[in-house]
Amino acid sequence: MDKPLDLLQGTLDLLILKAVSLGPLHGYGVLLRIQQISKDRLEIQQGSLYPALYRLEHQGWITSEWGESENNRKAKYYRLTAAGKRRLQTEAEKWNQMTEVIAGILGTKPEEV
Amino acid sequence: MTLWARFRSWAAASLRRSRMETEMNTELRFHLEAYSEELVRRGMPPKEAMRRARLEFGGIEKAKEGCRDARGANFFESLLQDLRYGLRMLRKAPTFATIAILTLALGIGATTAMFSIINAVLLRPLAYRQPDKLYLIREGISEMAQFYPSFPANLSGFLRWQSQCRSFEQIAIVEPAGRILTAAGESQEIHGGRASANLFDVLGVQPQLGRSFLADEDHPGNDHVVILTDSFWRDRFHADPSLIGRSITLDGEADVVVGILPPTFRFPKAAQLGPLTDFAPQLDFFKPLGLDPAKFSLLGEFDYAAIARLKPGVSPQQALAELNIIQAQIVRDAKENVDLHAELWPLETQVVGPARRGLLLLLGGVAAMLLIVCANLAGLLLARIPNRLRESAIRTTLGASRSRLVRQMLTESILLSVFGGLLGIGLAYLSLHQLVRWGPIDLPRLDEVRLDTRVLGFAFLLSTMTGIVFGTLPAWRVTRTEPHHALKSGAITATESRRTRRLRESLIGFEVGASTLLLIVAGLLVMSLVRLLAVDKGFLAECALTIDVTLPPQTYTTALQKKSFYQSALRQVEQLPCVSHAGWISKLPFEGQEEVNSILASGRVTDPLRAPIASFRFVTPDYFQAAGIPLRQGRFTAESDAQQHVALISQSVADKVWPGENPIGKQFHQGGDDRPLTEIIGVVGDIRSVALDQPPLLMVYVQTGDVTNDWSGSHASLVVRTRSEPLALANALRGAIRSVDSTVPIVHLRQMTEVVAESVAVRRFQMSLVVLFAVLALGLAAIGIYGVLAYSVEQRRQELGLRRALGAQVSDLRWMILRQGMVPVALGLLAGVAASLLAGSLIRSLLYGVTASDPFTIASVALVVLSIALMACYLPARRTMNLDPMVALRYE
Repeated sequence: MDKPLDLLQGTLDLLILKAVSLGPLHGYGVLLRIQQISKDRLEIQQGSLYPALYRLEHQGWITSEWGESENNRKAKYYRLTAAGKRRLQTEAEKWNQMTEVIAGILGTKPEEV
Repeated sequence: MTLWARFRSWAAASLRRSRMETEMNTELRFHLEAYSEELVRRGMPPKEAMRRARLEFGGIEKAKEGCRDARGANFFESLLQDLRYGLRMLRKAPTFATIAILTLALGIGATTAMFSIINAVLLRPLAYRQPDKLYLIREGISEMAQFYPSFPANLSGFLRWQSQCRSFEQIAIVEPAGRILTAAGESQEIHGGRASANLFDVLGVQPQLGRSFLADEDHPGNDHVVILTDSFWRDRFHADPSLIGRSITLDGEADVVVGILPPTFRFPKAAQLGPLTDFAPQLDFFKPLGLDPAKFSLLGEFDYAAIARLKPGVSPQQALAELNIIQAQIVRDAKENVDLHAELWPLETQVVGPARRGLLLLLGGVAAMLLIVCANLAGLLLARIPNRLRESAIRTTLGASRSRLVRQMLTESILLSVFGGLLGIGLAYLSLHQLVRWGPIDLPRLDEVRLDTRVLGFAFLLSTMTGIVFGTLPAWRVTRTEPHHALKSGAITATESRRTRRLRESLIGFEVGASTLLLIVAGLLVMSLVRLLAVDKGFLAECALTIDVTLPPQTYTTALQKKSFYQSALRQVEQLPCVSHAGWISKLPFEGQEEVNSILASGRVTDPLRAPIASFRFVTPDYFQAAGIPLRQGRFTAESDAQQHVALISQSVADKVWPGENPIGKQFHQGGDDRPLTEIIGVVGDIRSVALDQPPLLMVYVQTGDVTNDWSGSHASLVVRTRSEPLALANALRGAIRSVDSTVPIVHLRQMTEVVAESVAVRRFQMSLVVLFAVLALGLAAIGIYGVLAYSVEQRRQELGLRRALGAQVSDLRWMILRQGMVPVALGLLAGVAASLLAGSLIRSLLYGVTASDPFTIASVALVVLSIALMACYLPARRTMNLDPMVALRYE
């Protein structure tokens, strides 16, 4: 397996929003889901996950409520709000444009200039 | 929506901190446990798994801190930190802190005190319901406008308006009234008003006890009821609630007390109700008018204050138009040919209007002073910047954000200003006490001045704003400095940058400008008062005493009885040693108008309404010598004139009515040609009879006891000219009056100089405060200049030492420092003078005998400012003299 990639600055929020958009998750679940979708190719600092979750909740893009985990323990579940849904959409669009532009630049060959 | 969510989450985090902490712990523990279970499932021993989980998680505390920050839950924490830090900094610089807090206390205290006066006088509405709907109705006759542009209302007019005018909800009228209260064998004169029964309905005032007047109490016979004001009820009846329903004896008649007005009730003062209204300054009671329609005559006495409440949705212009239609009808019905019209004066403007400009001027003055305080403190803080640069540089490199640094510095300055503000509120409380006691009685509602919640809120806001104003500039300077710069220069004496110096110099300029402006305004007010007091009053106030008496009407019913009292009292007084002359007059100068009537010269056909109008006073023969009014022509009256119809006139009457003729021996009718002729036997000098700043009125002096006049005055003032210190005679005078009749109350015993002083009391009050503010401002500015320069010399010690070593003369260095200080002073001075010229039109109405661009005042102020500033600059500049080049160079 390749060495996992470090997360680009500012992308953690986007990943969290995407992860919880697929269904309510607790913090650990967010971590697992991102790893699962990325097929373990992204390295996420576990400690930086929670400040990000708190920040997103503070900004009103996700909300939380206490519930039971799979093994019957108390866990805090995060869910996307309507505002969060819109946010995810615009952020994802921005991201796609960005990668397109950057990929275009990086793919430029000398004869194309 | 998101903003709300953010606030909610912030509030939840801050307010329910412990709950958030537990939840955070639970959440993180869940994460660690879930992960370690996963690791165990992958075959790791449980103990090892937990350790591993913690390790991979990273710093748990750091994560928690990140969460708290994300929620803004750290706001209070860091505020507390800043506060603690600020306190420590202030403790480390006690001199700076003391100076700062004291000047702030001065500035904030003075502003708060002024604001509480303005709050009571201008901002707090009259304690009436919807006071903006209340109007005074006044009447005017165009033909008489040159003498009296407007009159109080007339009774028959009132009745017509009340029945015909649809623009008003109700109209009430009041006339001044005095009564003698007899209780337990003692008599006392009390003042009040006789009002139409609806007065309190119109004003929207409910008695605190009992009831208002009933409609039928307006009719004679039913009017033996009285309503008392709260202050009178407290002073005289010890706030006894059982007084309601009992009767008190007024002018020998029993009147039932039916109500007590609330403590907040104030009746407008006479001057606020317009010229020719004569209410006492403090009212004790109200009685119904007891209207007797039989006594009304069209265009009769214009004596009543009419207060009307406008109907909702009706404009004052509509109401006025309707009133004027009625006025025209009245003139037609009276078969007269005059232009009688009505005027509507907003009551609120009347009550606060005249004081507004003066008070706003004072507020402006005090605000200018506060700004100078701010500039001073900003200067002091700027001076401390080099000490702070290193510290802030270190903090920046350690990761403190710029906003965090600004916040911390602002916390410090706000801390200072809040301390200053607290002290200032104390100062304001103490000075308000003095102001209210000391303030002239004419300042409306001065007695209601107090520190209420609005004032305290203002003081708090002011303190915070002040801290932000003087703290922002230095904070901005500190955080704009590149940290590596400050650290590299490493020296403890990181020298003051050129830009900081420029800032400090502009602060000097500002302070000088603001204090120059204040001083010029103060100077103009002083000049006005000086010119006013130097005005030829027309009488001699020095060495003269006056006694005001009121004769109890139950014992003095006839003119003869009154005359005999006045004469016996006069005889007693004249026998006292040291009395050179004594004379009675019906009303002292500056104490208002009384009898006003037209002069119809005999032998000419004059329309009574177009005839000159004069103020009539009744006097005894020696009054003129007692008051020091000079005789210009003819002779004074003598006792032997008592049966004759004779009078003296003032010079301006002679000039107006008999220009170029000898008035002696001329005759005139007083009021109408059906009245007997009065002969002029003398002309006396003009006096300022209304106020010092108003030109003399036409005056006619009639001898009391003159059978032709119907002066039945129960009030009179005795003027006594003394040959020695007047007050030494006070007791003897009282004794002399008592020896004639001990039941006659002596209302006042004053020196004539006090009567004059009272007439300029408001002006003096304003002037003293503005002068006080201006002097404080100048003192603060001087301290500011001194501080900036002294500091600059200290900072440039090394440079100055170097210059000395290279051969610069002490005088050169001194000149250099002086120039550094005096250039901004000169610029500030110019700006201040320019501002005063611009502000001139705003204060013109407060000036007397001096223009706002008075060169003498401006030049003297400029001289004072320059010399004070020069002194403040010279002291630090002199230090360069003692500068030993070697020491200075080694100072590093």
